[in-house]
Amino acid sequence: MDEITTVFVTESREQLAAMEAALLELENSPGDSDTLNAIFRSAHTIKGGAGVVECDFIVAFTHVVENALDKLRNGEIAVDGDLVAVLLACSDHINALLDVLESGMPAPAADLQADGNALLDRLQRGWLSGEGKQSDDSTPPATSDGTVESSGGGVVETDCWHISLRFGQDVLRQGMDPLSFLRYLTSLGTIVRLETLADAMPAADDMDPEACYLGFEIHFASSADKAAIERVFDFVRDECTLHILPPRSRLADYVALIKALPEDPMRLGEILVRVGALTQAELDVGLAAQQATEAAATEETAAPPLGEILVEQQVVQPELVEAAVVKQKQVGEKKAAEARLIRIQADKLDALIDLVGELVIAGAGVNLLAARSGLAELTEATSVMSRLVESIRDSALQLRMVQIGETFNRFNRVVRDVSKELGKDIELVVSGAETELDKSVVEKIGDPLMHLVRNAIDHGIEPAEARAAAGKPERGRLSLNACHDSGSIVIEVADDGGGLNREKIARKAMERGLVPAGHTLSDQEVYNLIFEPGFSTADKVSNLSGRGVGMDVVKRNIQSLRGRVEVDSQPGEGTRFTIRLPLTLAIIDGFLVGAGSAGYVVPLDMVVECLELPPQAGDSHYLNLRGEVLPFIRLRDLFEIRGEQPVRENVVVVKAAGQKAGIVVDELLGEFQTVIKPLGHLFRNLRGIGGSTILGSGEVALILDVQALIHLAAHRDEPNAILNRS
Amino acid sequence: MKTIFLVDDSATILLSISNILSKAGYGVEKAPNALDALKKFQAGVKVDLLITDLNMPGMNGIEFIKEVRKLTPYRFMPILFLTTESQQAKKAEAKAAGASGWIVKPASADELLNTIKLVMR
Repeated sequence: MDEITTVFVTESREQLAAMEAALLELENSPGDSDTLNAIFRSAHTIKGGAGVVECDFIVAFTHVVENALDKLRNGEIAVDGDLVAVLLACSDHINALLDVLESGMPAPAADLQADGNALLDRLQRGWLSGEGKQSDDSTPPATSDGTVESSGGGVVETDCWHISLRFGQDVLRQGMDPLSFLRYLTSLGTIVRLETLADAMPAADDMDPEACYLGFEIHFASSADKAAIERVFDFVRDECTLHILPPRSRLADYVALIKALPEDPMRLGEILVRVGALTQAELDVGLAAQQATEAAATEETAAPPLGEILVEQQVVQPELVEAAVVKQKQVGEKKAAEARLIRIQADKLDALIDLVGELVIAGAGVNLLAARSGLAELTEATSVMSRLVESIRDSALQLRMVQIGETFNRFNRVVRDVSKELGKDIELVVSGAETELDKSVVEKIGDPLMHLVRNAIDHGIEPAEARAAAGKPERGRLSLNACHDSGSIVIEVADDGGGLNREKIARKAMERGLVPAGHTLSDQEVYNLIFEPGFSTADKVSNLSGRGVGMDVVKRNIQSLRGRVEVDSQPGEGTRFTIRLPLTLAIIDGFLVGAGSAGYVVPLDMVVECLELPPQAGDSHYLNLRGEVLPFIRLRDLFEIRGEQPVRENVVVVKAAGQKAGIVVDELLGEFQTVIKPLGHLFRNLRGIGGSTILGSGEVALILDVQALIHLAAHRDEPNAILNRS
Repeated sequence: MKTIFLVDDSATILLSISNILSKAGYGVEKAPNALDALKKFQAGVKVDLLITDLNMPGMNGIEFIKEVRKLTPYRFMPILFLTTESQQAKKAEAKAAGASGWIVKPASADELLNTIKLVMR
């Protein structure tokens, strides 16, 4: 697929997403013109783009949709649920057509084509043909109104140029005859009507017989352009007052011309001159007038814009100025939008980030050598450099950050469709849509989220009768929330449904042998069972969920992103899934510690403080941190590192998910930037280790999985560790 | 037949313009400089239109136009001057001196004849 087609497909998908969002919006506020326009624009953009990439089947389909939207926009047809449903289906169909285009097939398959035709047929019969579904009498028959106006204009309108001319007094003395202009004018067209104006003629006593006091109002039928007509008056135009206004029919032509201008940034005057509505000479006069008023303008009275001046000087009609201003704004907006966004291939970004990773490692190497050399100047130079590298790293990573809102928005549609299918009334509340996270994470989080959302609608939120019986509002509520929390992003999917059925889960788990019979579990442990493979409590398998495939996949997907998912539930009040993900997958600020002969890296944003291990802590697993109980874990114990324990041990206090713990290490080696290298397949199930990195010295250091360590530190005494691992 | 009086110090221009004018059916009077031309005007030559260059040795075109305008028979006669694109400033000066309009050199036969048609009574 060539580049332009790729861009078109990407753009169109965005437009479709926007259109879909707007269509859903429309259900809530029918008749909102901004929304209607937005929808129309999306369809229009797609059609236009499809034309450029010569994808006829998209053009053909979108054209009809656009027609319908145009009527909708103009109030000729009214918004109703059916129409929105059809338009949503059309949006889906365009998406499918984009798939076809993307796959390189020359035309959609027969069944898809048939689907499309059926949709168009529905649109055509339901809304496009004739009066369509005029919903009520609130909209007057706008169509007939419009036609009356357009034809009615012709009653008095002679489709003529209007030339208004007042000669300067010196015309005769300069050897010019006013009549000769009129005579010459007839070589360009026909003078339909002429009115001689003698209002400037003074009383006989004051009259200079050699001066010219005449003026003409001329209706002139001609196919010549404005500049040609103006040229006739070239010799007198400095002394006379001249207004040439185009005929009515020309007006539409000019407006069309203005609209068709290429999207270059242009001044208002330039636009009008370019289409011939204004001549350069007229523009010069207007600009001079503007400069004059600008010079005279004080702070309170700003100089009027050129458009106003031109209209006042009667050289252009206000309609044309308006059209030009609109054009100007469009171009400006487009330019601004272009300036705001650059499209680049994702793999180029990835390559950049890889390189930045290498740069970070190389920088660490230089730092190390500089520190060893003991040269103060060198150390200083490298510290400046490493600061820059850090900024480059952050900016590079920032490039890949996208807002999660776009992902969230997809769920508006999902919630609408699924809840309709199930006959439930559910409202989706989204917050924190502006929260940013790495694009690679966003791409992978969509599926798990989809699963959680569908689950919440299907299992979580009860049918309306059950809700009413429980004294809850009939309308169910599903909320999606995202926020940042100490170096991770937290995404919550919460419903206000019945909550997880603790007994049922426990019973099923026993039946399946997931838990030994007679074992007592905490609520949390029971709830976590739903993430076990093949676990389902649904009595019947629905279209949406209940097949027992899902939650374990959700969990696995999230874990593969170095994230974790937790579930919390209150019977009768609802269920909340909390997904915690690292902000980025590539590079982190690390804190290097030593235990034995090896180095370990703790993600810096999880480090709260460092302190010396008080000697009295001894072999207990808790210490008193300013009155707070802090469980700790020795890396030496955990990884069974042999060798002499140092006299002085240090505690790194880490915090994740609101929980604090201490990690006891031999040495604190300071912070540095770390490129995360994933662990090999073999080490996938290793606990407490999240990855590896290469130090400046070339040595490998392991990156600690702080969340797992905290968990271990806090739950070390509990026997059923199998359920706690995560 | 209308008569056009042509003044230019360039023989080439005199010839080329007078050829065009003759072919178009005008009578042509010529003078290679303003002073010679002025003498003919003072002598009361019968002319319907004057076309003069501006930049000429001896008396320049602007002075010449002023002098011609002073002569009663020619007070309302159309006067065109020959100019080039680069001489925009001269236009106003010439207009103030009493010229009716201008012809930008080099002009095609059509342009020339059209302009004449415009100002000719």
